[in-house]
Amino acid sequence: MNSRPDSAGSVSGRALSLASAHGSAARCAALCAVSTAATAAGLLLPALLGHTLDLLLNRAPAARWVAGCAGLVLLLALLDGCAGVLTGLCDAQATAGLRRRLTGHVLALGPRAGARFGAGDLVARLVGNAAQAGTAPGALAALLAALAGPVGGVVALGLLDPWLAAVFLAGAPVLALLLRAFARDTSACVAEYQRVQGRIAGALAEAVGGFRTIRAAGAEDRETDRILGPLPELSRAGHRMWRVQGRAAAQAVTVAPLLNLGVLAVAGLLLARHRLSVGDVLAASRYAVLATGIGALVGQLAALGRARAAAGRLAEVLAEPAPGHGTGGLPPGNGLLQLRAVTARRGGRTVLDGVDLTVPGGTTLAVVGRSGAGKSLLAQLAGRLADPDAGEVLLDGVPLRGLAHAELRRAVAYAFERPALPGTTIEDTIAFGLTAATPDAVRAAARRAHADDFVRRLPDGYATRTAEAPRSGGESQRLGLARAFAHGGRLLILDDALSSLDTVTEHRITETLLTADTDRTRLLIAHRAATAARADRVAWLDSGRVRAVATHQELWREAEYRAVFGDAEGATSDLGAATGSGTEARD
Amino acid sequence: MQRPTGGRAAGVPLWRWVSGFLRERWRVLLRLGVWSVLEAGQTFVVGYALARALDAGFLAGNARTGLLWLGAAGAAVCAGAYGTGRVYGVVAALVEPARDRLVRTVVARGVREADAGALSGLTQQVEIARDTLAGVVMVTRSFLFTAAGALIGLFSLDPLLLVVVLPPLLAGVALFAVTLRPLARRQEAFLAADEALAQELGGVLEALRDITASGAEERVAGSVGRRTDAELRTARALARWSAARVAALAVGGELPAVLLLVAAPWLLGHGVTPGALVGALAYVTQSLLPALHNLVHGLGTSGSRLTVVLRRLTRSDSRHREQRPPRGDGEPRRRPHTARTRPTTAPPSPPPALSLTSVTFTYGPGGEPVLDGLGLTLPQGEHLAVVGPSGIGKSTLTGLVAGLLTPQRGTVLVHGRPAPAPGATVLIPQEAYVHTGTLAENLALFRDAPVPEPELLAAADAVGLTPLLTALGGPGATVSPAELSAGERQLIALTRAYLCAAPLALLDEATCHLDPEAEARAERAFAARPGGTLIVVAHRISSARRAGLILVMDGARTTCGTHAELLRSSALYRDLAGAWTPRPAPLPR
Repeated sequence: MNSRPDSAGSVSGRALSLASAHGSAARCAALCAVSTAATAAGLLLPALLGHTLDLLLNRAPAARWVAGCAGLVLLLALLDGCAGVLTGLCDAQATAGLRRRLTGHVLALGPRAGARFGAGDLVARLVGNAAQAGTAPGALAALLAALAGPVGGVVALGLLDPWLAAVFLAGAPVLALLLRAFARDTSACVAEYQRVQGRIAGALAEAVGGFRTIRAAGAEDRETDRILGPLPELSRAGHRMWRVQGRAAAQAVTVAPLLNLGVLAVAGLLLARHRLSVGDVLAASRYAVLATGIGALVGQLAALGRARAAAGRLAEVLAEPAPGHGTGGLPPGNGLLQLRAVTARRGGRTVLDGVDLTVPGGTTLAVVGRSGAGKSLLAQLAGRLADPDAGEVLLDGVPLRGLAHAELRRAVAYAFERPALPGTTIEDTIAFGLTAATPDAVRAAARRAHADDFVRRLPDGYATRTAEAPRSGGESQRLGLARAFAHGGRLLILDDALSSLDTVTEHRITETLLTADTDRTRLLIAHRAATAARADRVAWLDSGRVRAVATHQELWREAEYRAVFGDAEGATSDLGAATGSGTEARD
Repeated sequence: MQRPTGGRAAGVPLWRWVSGFLRERWRVLLRLGVWSVLEAGQTFVVGYALARALDAGFLAGNARTGLLWLGAAGAAVCAGAYGTGRVYGVVAALVEPARDRLVRTVVARGVREADAGALSGLTQQVEIARDTLAGVVMVTRSFLFTAAGALIGLFSLDPLLLVVVLPPLLAGVALFAVTLRPLARRQEAFLAADEALAQELGGVLEALRDITASGAEERVAGSVGRRTDAELRTARALARWSAARVAALAVGGELPAVLLLVAAPWLLGHGVTPGALVGALAYVTQSLLPALHNLVHGLGTSGSRLTVVLRRLTRSDSRHREQRPPRGDGEPRRRPHTARTRPTTAPPSPPPALSLTSVTFTYGPGGEPVLDGLGLTLPQGEHLAVVGPSGIGKSTLTGLVAGLLTPQRGTVLVHGRPAPAPGATVLIPQEAYVHTGTLAENLALFRDAPVPEPELLAAADAVGLTPLLTALGGPGATVSPAELSAGERQLIALTRAYLCAAPLALLDEATCHLDPEAEARAERAFAARPGGTLIVVAHRISSARRAGLILVMDGARTTCGTHAELLRSSALYRDLAGAWTPRPAPLPR
């Protein structure tokens, strides 16, 4: 699902230009020029060296030629230096440019990007693929050099004497065959190595999950020994890998010198017949070395291929259209929410089908329904985390699509079942938003979300780093709630945001949350009957349609409505405990 | 099997880790040297044979001699290649034990500190360390022996050649050595910036929905942009320093060839033959230059990567230790309020199963206490339930009793001995630990020897594991935690704890994934252990009802008593008990 075949061709066509556009074009052109010049100088040098050597051996005046050699060597060093620096600069520039553009686009896409590609995959694209695609300018320049060097070497050999080129070309296929054997041989023992490594990693992952059990029993050493049980096996597989690699390397390092010696033997015979000079023999030897550089061409092609593929994966992300925002503002109001004939599809399935729903401003609507009824999608549409495929969502009479970005986000606050909590410290995490909430607002919101108590018990209170604060599922939910409260606009949407709380805490929060507040509308996805019972009205969602909108008491008379809460209700008999995935590990 | 030696490695300076490791393996280094001599021999022979092939062969009109010398060079190439192959095997003897040691370090730390980062350390960083260590050893070794072979060859052709070649070569190596450190610093700065960016992006991309919902796109783009720019700056600095490598290479690798040409008239005048001159040029351009090139490029990059990765893998763990706060100095912070305790019986009675005295616990210097002056005494055989809202500190309490946490103030005595007393307590947390292995192995985790089958079956029967045990195929069946339900994992953890000799069992929501009947059966089994004391962090009110004594935790108002007493005295307990109703009726509005 990550690559659409129809667009793949055009995507990778644009990919490289995408990558190189981000390194400044002038710099990339300079890089190509420099590396081409360096290759040319490298091809010129052996001939020059050979001729100079001949002059020297014949005791002829050669000062100018020696100076020429020195100059060419210096030039070559300078060009190499420039090429190295330029490659580094171009790659870095291109990578950074790609990352900036991708980050901007992914943020504009928002949850749509996560839904389309998955968070882990996006990380791989922005971190790994961007770096790979960024090497495109350097890889392209290096490819030219890698191609010109060997071709030039063979041509130069041919110019010295056709026999030299013939010997080289006859021996070269052997080189290619042996290099291919290298790639084939290692894969089997690499797989074995990774399998054993996976076993150790798996056992370690289990032990990390069970660390309280292990530590309380003082069984750390014993468990460590047990996990390390397969280590000798890993070591054996590792040794095998090196042995296979050694064999392959031995083959690889034989071929180039033997080819070189073959060329030298022919050159020597030609020398004995006075068809070549000593300088020509030296030049032939160096040209043979340049020509064997053809092996590097395979690597360069692969690098360019990787860069191209990576750029293609980035282009896929950029091809996803980002939702636009209007410029409109909201009239004064208290959050009248209207859904008009809203239809939304996910993966070819119609999840919401012509939903009409009105939530009067300042009231609370609970949305209930079996799992898969479309509750979460409804919550996403209501605050424009997603757009409907048909129909319109209006807030105080204004279509959400027409609202300016800042106006929309100021008006709508969300809390989720499993909130992600960006931000550095707990304080920053609760204040996180369009504009940061004040410290007072942060603390007031935390108190309303019953998060203040446990935050103050953290190692550094509100200044504790969020990533290092040990949290249970219920505590994360309360921080997410506090963030929503700290930025509360005229519409508050709670997407199952109380599910991991113990019943007492949930009761206390809903009491404050659902008491009459004429300033804002509250939309909450509820799984517990007790929660639905406290809302002004309940929208009963069934297979993508609104089956009824009424009070909980009225609906409770219907057996099917009661069945919606059926099994889930058993879980609410938990006492002071997080339900579901909430874990309570605080040490 | 060897005991993990990883613990020693943690926190020692890096160079000492490396040099200590190499000192222990001088024999391997010796073998490495022996096989490398073959490669050095190849370098020597190829140049020398070329010179002789020209002088004694082709130039003397004796083509057969020339071909024979080149044939000898070909034989030397094959011998050298054999040496190269064997070198890989010896490098394995150096690199694989280093990898083993790193794996032990990482696993030991992962188990000790529940460090989830250890996992990426195990699969990625250890592998980077392995590859880069091998790379560093290979290029350094290759340079040393190739240079030795070439220099000996030059000396054999004519000692005068060394006068020309050696000075620039040494200057080039010195230049590289001087720039190695600044280059490594920039490489490390780049790796650090790259990693910081990757981490930031990872966090952002996991939180896209929440960022959009909060409208904080601009802020996030700004902070990612700053990291991107920081990475770009370090990458640029690194790219500029790459010129230093080229300079070292030009001085050490290219300059000798030019100098040979400049000095050629003088050399030829002092008896250097044309063949020797060609041989010298071959040594310089085809042996020394590539070896130096590999050294300069390989060591510059691999060395820095290795340094960074090893430093991370062998770091001392200050961050993790902070989570186990040091014992406070005992200065009273506020008036301790002691929970009601049940009076212990007559003086000659055994020590109480658990005795907490004015226990105060705080997670960090900036936090408020989770437990503040808590006192509690449990006689042996007692059954205590702990209830309270989530996050109130119930798990902290069990952590203190199990000795996972140390209070800043007050004492925790288990059977008269200060915690931790692993032999006297067994903790079963909510997340049951089951590892891949046989069921019997899992159940014997807390025992020194395999559990006799009758005892194992009796325990399984008492706790309620028998149906699962039968379904899996007996104690010898292999279990995989991912294929078990959370409740099944809890049953295994409970049976394992039941089989352990520790008299004080701590069930920290250890039955939350069991149905009420299974929970009741497991709890009754533990309560019925002769002389066994049971503390249950209760998940359901029914579980609290079974306990003789109930501790209600509510921050400042921690109270202890029987069900009936608490219904009268604790508002929170009434709330908690009231929240549990068999079938919640719709509340009238």
